Amino acid sequence: MRLEALAVALPDVAGHPNRVPFEGVLTLVDEPSNRPPSGARGHRVILTRAAAIAALPSLLGMAVDYAPGWDGHDARRKCGIITEADVEGNRLQVSGYLFGKDFPEVEEQMRRSNAGTMGMSYEIADAHVADMNASIWSLTRATFTGAAILLREKAAYRETLFRLAAKRCRSTGLAATVPERRCTERLGRPHGSNNGQLEKGKEARCR
Amino acid sequence: MEGAMSESVEKLSAAVSLLERAIASLEQRDAAMSGDVQRIVAAVEHGAEISPRELELERKLAAAEQQIAELRAQGTRPAATRKTLPASTTQLLAKGGITSLESIDAGALDAALTGLSLEQRIAVKAQLMRAGALA
Repeated sequence: MRLEALAVALPDVAGHPNRVPFEGVLTLVDEPSNRPPSGARGHRVILTRAAAIAALPSLLGMAVDYAPGWDGHDARRKCGIITEADVEGNRLQVSGYLFGKDFPEVEEQMRRSNAGTMGMSYEIADAHVADMNASIWSLTRATFTGAAILLREKAAYRETLFRLAAKRCRSTGLAATVPERRCTERLGRPHGSNNGQLEKGKEARCR
Repeated sequence: MEGAMSESVEKLSAAVSLLERAIASLEQRDAAMSGDVQRIVAAVEHGAEISPRELELERKLAAAEQQIAELRAQGTRPAATRKTLPASTTQLLAKGGITSLESIDAGALDAALTGLSLEQRIAVKAQLMRAGALA
């Protein structure tokens, strides 16, 4: 299993009222979207693994937003932040925080909705298409500018996922119960010593 | 001599011109083939959403695929055959000393059926084959 991962280490604040951890599958790499994304002129797209890995740094610190109907993006409703991203297998996984106090309706929606009904959608800019004439566009370069939480059926990729995380730090999988450990600990750094810095890790996310 | 030189120069000049046009054409084609897109959002465009009918069909397809997978899995498993035989056949075999259908020896079976006519022997063997006791 190949894993490429990046994370922004934020200081832990126990019981932070505005941080609700989430995790999700933002998209699949090297696999065509099930539907043509918006802006792709009716073409389905493949985000290549190389492009996704190269674009991982641009994803960190980007916001997650939502539209009231859970059917698309609304860049002015930024309800959370992405702090970790990795490509594991063909899944681009992300995790971060929702601003639970500011957007209680989002947390409420997540708790109310059935498991597996919520998905994610990326927003990219400056995407390079290898062959504009191809029926499926292959994206060989991109910059992530944000992501949205939405109903899975509204996502161009059917296999995306969004859910509240049980704990702040997740393992390589999307297990529902992950032992509570700080990400700074998994990287062997003292707590709070590397706040805000970009870290690169491979293999397991938590020790 | 000069005439030949002049002709060669003209030919070369024409070839260079052709090459330049070809390069320009290739560059144009390349630019048209690959390109940059300012913004892509991985959400289904409004108006292009999955209709309830499509959703229903997708659900049915998923269910059908699951059923096919299950049937395939069953097909790869050794069939649990029910070894039942008509009572008359069982009695005939018992008289010949065959009481279990789990391991019938071909020689023992032939010996057990020696008292029967050819048709009866064929009928018994056919029944055993149907029951899965005889390969």
